[in-house]
Amino acid sequence: MVRLFRAALHGIAFRGAAALLVAGGVSGARADDWGTITGRFVYGGSKPAAADIKADKDVEVCGKHKLLSEELVVGDGGGIANVVVFVRDKDVKVHPDLAKSKDTPVTLDNKDCRFEPHVAVVQTGQSFVLKNSDTIGHNSNVATIKNSPSNSLIPAGGDSKISFSSEEAIPAQVTCNIHPWMKAWIVVRPNPYATVSKADGSFEIKGLPAGELELQLWHEKAGYIGEIKVGGRAEKTAKGRKKVTVKAGDNAMGDITLDASLFKK
Amino acid sequence: MQTPSNVFRGRGSAITRRPTARGSFTPRSAVSQRGWAARAGLLATLLACTGCGGVPPAWFRPNMVEATKQRLTSAQESQVATVMLALFGTPDDPVALPETGLDQAKLDLAAGPVHSDATGRKNGLYREHCAHCHGVTGDGLGPTAAFLNPYPRDYRPGVFKFKSTERADKPTRDDLLRILHNGIPGTSMPSFALLSDIQIDALAEYVRYLSIRGETELGLMRAFFDLDDDAQGKLPETRDFLVDEMLTPVADKWRAAEEARIPVPEMPADIDMVASIAKGKELFYGDKANCVKCHGVTGLGDGQANDYDDWNKAIVEINKEIDGTAERARETKTSGMSADDLAEHRANLAWVNRFHHVLDGDAHRPRTIPPRNLRQGIYRGGRRPLDIYYRIHAGINGAPMPAAKGTIPPEEIWHIVNYVRSLPYGFDGELGADRTTTVSTRDRF
Repeated sequence: MVRLFRAALHGIAFRGAAALLVAGGVSGARADDWGTITGRFVYGGSKPAAADIKADKDVEVCGKHKLLSEELVVGDGGGIANVVVFVRDKDVKVHPDLAKSKDTPVTLDNKDCRFEPHVAVVQTGQSFVLKNSDTIGHNSNVATIKNSPSNSLIPAGGDSKISFSSEEAIPAQVTCNIHPWMKAWIVVRPNPYATVSKADGSFEIKGLPAGELELQLWHEKAGYIGEIKVGGRAEKTAKGRKKVTVKAGDNAMGDITLDASLFKK
Repeated sequence: MQTPSNVFRGRGSAITRRPTARGSFTPRSAVSQRGWAARAGLLATLLACTGCGGVPPAWFRPNMVEATKQRLTSAQESQVATVMLALFGTPDDPVALPETGLDQAKLDLAAGPVHSDATGRKNGLYREHCAHCHGVTGDGLGPTAAFLNPYPRDYRPGVFKFKSTERADKPTRDDLLRILHNGIPGTSMPSFALLSDIQIDALAEYVRYLSIRGETELGLMRAFFDLDDDAQGKLPETRDFLVDEMLTPVADKWRAAEEARIPVPEMPADIDMVASIAKGKELFYGDKANCVKCHGVTGLGDGQANDYDDWNKAIVEINKEIDGTAERARETKTSGMSADDLAEHRANLAWVNRFHHVLDGDAHRPRTIPPRNLRQGIYRGGRRPLDIYYRIHAGINGAPMPAAKGTIPPEEIWHIVNYVRSLPYGFDGELGADRTTTVSTRDRF
């Protein structure tokens, strides 16, 4: 009861906290120790048109797909997809439910002459599968800096498994040398607290330990995002770093506006 | 801009690699104490003008492209330069800390200005034979470099193409010796077979030194980005950080390479060569090996031809970043700007101008890398079947060529080797009907 009271003090709806407690106390962890951060990245400007990609290699296969540049994807509602959000703190406490999140491999698929997903998130030590669902051959040139870079042939229907032993300070680019328009990114982090904004610009990081944390925000065109606008207030975020205080339960950051000028590159 | 050049003047007298009679200042003891870097800088400055006659002292050129890319302050640039001086010495007095695994005697033979010692032994081999292309620093920016195609190798990223190890691994000692003995056909790299084995060995050791040095410098410059705010933009000057965390992992990769030769199963002695070439051809054109996509339907190297190698690509990417920042700055309206924003705007403009200047002096104009023309019979990494096997198995580090390892079994790699080796000896039908481009062979040199 004391805990519920404390949660209430922290501005958490009783119902949410109670539901978490009832849900079985997540392997012994106290429900009010953990929080979820949500938010949505919004483009500060009129929606830019995505450039067409002219598939001039393997035209008979790749020419069938309407390929668009994915360097900056802004949805109809103004949401920005593929913005990377992760917790920068290295010794962050990990929620017991997420301890096993490493066991599931992450897949980066060569599909329809593009990479799916465009930005993949992986933990150190987690298995990473480079897959090819296309009927043509690809290769995946993974330009990591701290980890050994690799560049494997991925034949039609085939795959290649890699893993990463150290985290990367900057997301690593993946390209296909046969089809030069193909580009993807891999975010390598030492913990499960990293995510990528969805098509509508929204993101969610669950199971964060309550307390002070530092988030880092990155986008392939903007790099580490140096300025954000939350609730109409502009805020400098040097090197994409933003300190947050995570409270138990939900922590909604609301709309985070990224000015159009950040994406000029 | 404050350059660290003052640190490097005076024939490296600030830091001697051998303990002096007074035992005052060696890199090893230096790195173990705090505040040593400032001391080194001060000493260097004090001694800067002694012994200025004759040959001007050589100094290692800092990696200004990376420093500018990381937007290091002049204080940060100086910190890196001072740390590098303590860890690696100067071109006249190189230092091999035990952690590098390098042989100081070999470095001494290769380093310094060209001269003969009291016994008549020639020193300064690197500057005599290599520096005019590869640069004193091993940055591929020697005075001849801009006129060569391909550009001479920049050792600093620690990436080497022609070797018997996996793609991301370093070359073995033998790999470097082979390149020095044979040169690289099809490039400006000549054979140094006329030098003695001792001399070639010393040069190979010096290349390793320059590469370990350059890669450590890159690591230091990149380390600023991830510093916590309370570090106040300064790298820790502790032995733990500088030697154990930054230098040793780089040197360890070189050590590991000696044990990391790719195991190659012998090609069966009684192989049916005609059948093997036919199978190799099928693989060359097939979807699994996909060689045809880049090397072209004719094998003339006229497939995918607008790609860059890693060294050139880095400059292409930087140019995009500069152009983007410049465009943003141009469109920025400065009226009504806060003081902070105005300062940032000015810093961006200064950065753009400075980077153009840095690229002019410290980078080559980027060139695309054509896939190899396989009809010429010129193999840069060596013409032995084994060399071609290594290239196909591991791919070529720094170049777009991917690794067949794990996708194509060894016996099939041998088939491709045999087919590739047959290509210079005649066109066999593909040329003509299937040929999609009209690039002449001459353009592919």
